[in-house]
Amino acid sequence: MSGLRRALWGVALAAVIAGAAASALVLSSDHTDYAGLGIVIGLVIMASFIGTGLFAWWRRPSNRFGALMTAVGFTFLLSALTASDNSVVFTAGVILSGVYLVVFAHMVLAYPDGRLERRWHAWLLGVGYFLTLFGMVPQLLWGFKEDMQCDGCPESALLVGSNDTLRNVLDAATSLLGIGVVAVVLFILLRRWARATSPQRRALAPVLWSGVVMLVLLASQLGSGAIGSSRLTDALGVAGLIVFASVPWVFLISLVRSRVVRAGAVSELLLALGEAPGTGTLRCRLAEALGDSSLDLVFWLEDKRKWVDYEGHVVELPREGDPVRAWTEVVLEDRRVGAILHDVTLREEPELLRSVAAAAGLAMENERLQAQLRARVEELRTSRARIVEAGTQERRRLERNLHDGAQQRLVALSLTLRLAQGKLRQDPDKADELINGAQEELTLALGELRELARGIHPAILSDRGLGAALEALAGRAPIAVQLAELPERPLPEAIEAAAYFVVAEALTNVVKYAHASQATVSVSQVNGHAVVEIADDGIGGADPGRGSGLRGLADRVSALDGNMQLDSPAGAGTRLRAEIPV
Amino acid sequence: MDDHPSFRATARVLLEAEGFDVVGEAADGASALTEAGRLQPEVVLLDVQLPDIDGFDVAARLTGNDNGPVVILVSSRDSSDFGPLVTRSGARGFVPKAELSGDRLQELL
Repeated sequence: MSGLRRALWGVALAAVIAGAAASALVLSSDHTDYAGLGIVIGLVIMASFIGTGLFAWWRRPSNRFGALMTAVGFTFLLSALTASDNSVVFTAGVILSGVYLVVFAHMVLAYPDGRLERRWHAWLLGVGYFLTLFGMVPQLLWGFKEDMQCDGCPESALLVGSNDTLRNVLDAATSLLGIGVVAVVLFILLRRWARATSPQRRALAPVLWSGVVMLVLLASQLGSGAIGSSRLTDALGVAGLIVFASVPWVFLISLVRSRVVRAGAVSELLLALGEAPGTGTLRCRLAEALGDSSLDLVFWLEDKRKWVDYEGHVVELPREGDPVRAWTEVVLEDRRVGAILHDVTLREEPELLRSVAAAAGLAMENERLQAQLRARVEELRTSRARIVEAGTQERRRLERNLHDGAQQRLVALSLTLRLAQGKLRQDPDKADELINGAQEELTLALGELRELARGIHPAILSDRGLGAALEALAGRAPIAVQLAELPERPLPEAIEAAAYFVVAEALTNVVKYAHASQATVSVSQVNGHAVVEIADDGIGGADPGRGSGLRGLADRVSALDGNMQLDSPAGAGTRLRAEIPV
Repeated sequence: MDDHPSFRATARVLLEAEGFDVVGEAADGASALTEAGRLQPEVVLLDVQLPDIDGFDVAARLTGNDNGPVVILVSSRDSSDFGPLVTRSGARGFVPKAELSGDRLQELL
């Protein structure tokens, strides 16, 4: 038997002993009417609180709600002390007889997770304890009010004399304060209800509403006591007792009912999924089975290591400790396929979540494939837009370069030549000097045009293929570039162009950022894919998001249905790899 | 040999002015090969980019036999655009079109 179970049995045994002691006390009392009836009612109430409390405690040891419910049962028993014929015990009984009401309020406030939501709730309960402990003290000091008199009760151990006015004033004051405390507790409960999501409401309902009714009755009782209407007080007291006694049963019934209902929902879910797997209604079916209309599904894309929704948009999952949302992983054959996003209260039912998640696996895999497709379409859509944008920008850049570079030089050249022509006869030396200048200007213009043309599309690539183009590229690079491998057969033109520009951009980056002394380039054909790899011996730590150049390349590669990966651990060189299906 | 008539005309004027005897011209790779066979020139100026066979292949074929002509490749591009292709083609050298002159050719011959 586990430690917890042994301890709980110990508590149960203590409850039996306490119940027996209380019964003996009541039976031996010479001032208690209907002792038998009182004992039966008291024991039933006590036993239902302690029994239900222990059950809840055993089921969810980390949740203090069970302990609180058990405590209500024990403190309820304290009122039996008023049956004592001993003056001191009787007085203690009168003082302690209201404590269970505050413990009850504590339990309702701490429902369902056993913790108080706010620090000031504990202060509020502290005020409640103070009022119940000292609420009867004025009557114990200056004599009971008429409606509280009892024949044969022992005298108060605290009695100091008779002062009806002071007693009544203090009594009314504590009653009003008590009503205030109850009102605040009610306010907290009702606000919590108003703010709760529908699965939270379902969890709150049984205890919260019986607690509300109980507290309303208590407040009315305190109020009627303050105005001195004894018949109303008695009637409300009986009603309160009935509601109070019902709380553990309501809790228990709702617990059992939800288990039965949920078990049914899971088997219905299994049936429904078996009939029509992979239809778009999976979300609705799961929402129904878990009773959470806010439920949502996300899918796992292994290749991107990202979560996406139905539309294929990337989504973030709620973090651990999120007060509202939580998620449960869905696994199919040891492979993660997705997750169920749900209300955090469903965590209270881990078995249910597990069985629903297990049932959803196959259907979820079907929907995951669709989401993956949508993610792909979405990616292509955005990369297409970026390619168009990049094309426009490229043209703008070309226009600017042509205009600022070669065109300006040619304009200057035209002026210089005209000038030289004018000087040709009178001043041949000057003309010669001018023509020399023109020659230099022309060389620069030609150099710029060459550079520009090469950037648009290297002629050697279309004339001589990728191998020759890469050799030329390697030859021009300011660091040692080794061509480790080249494809034996020519690749389709678009792929060769993409491969060429991947290498060109990668080498530019290597030279600019990597502090490398050499780089290795290889282009191979593996499993129907052209694999382009550029590795350097530089400092590593390259940021994949850096520069529009790399982004543009990734788009170019992805337009050919390929993908690009950058591996750049700090201090260990950089490796860029592009795979393009041939 | 060049597919641009304007460059052919300029080159002819330039070379004849500097004492070269220009025996023939061709506008594409195929006619370059037949003309070279017919005229047996000592030197062939060959553009890299021709409409049919490219300059490197034409150069390789022209220099394939022992008594072939000396081939000098010309292009409006820079030799770095072509990597090691120039040396592999069998050509004697490379001159960018803008730098073409009798002196430059003499250096290579």
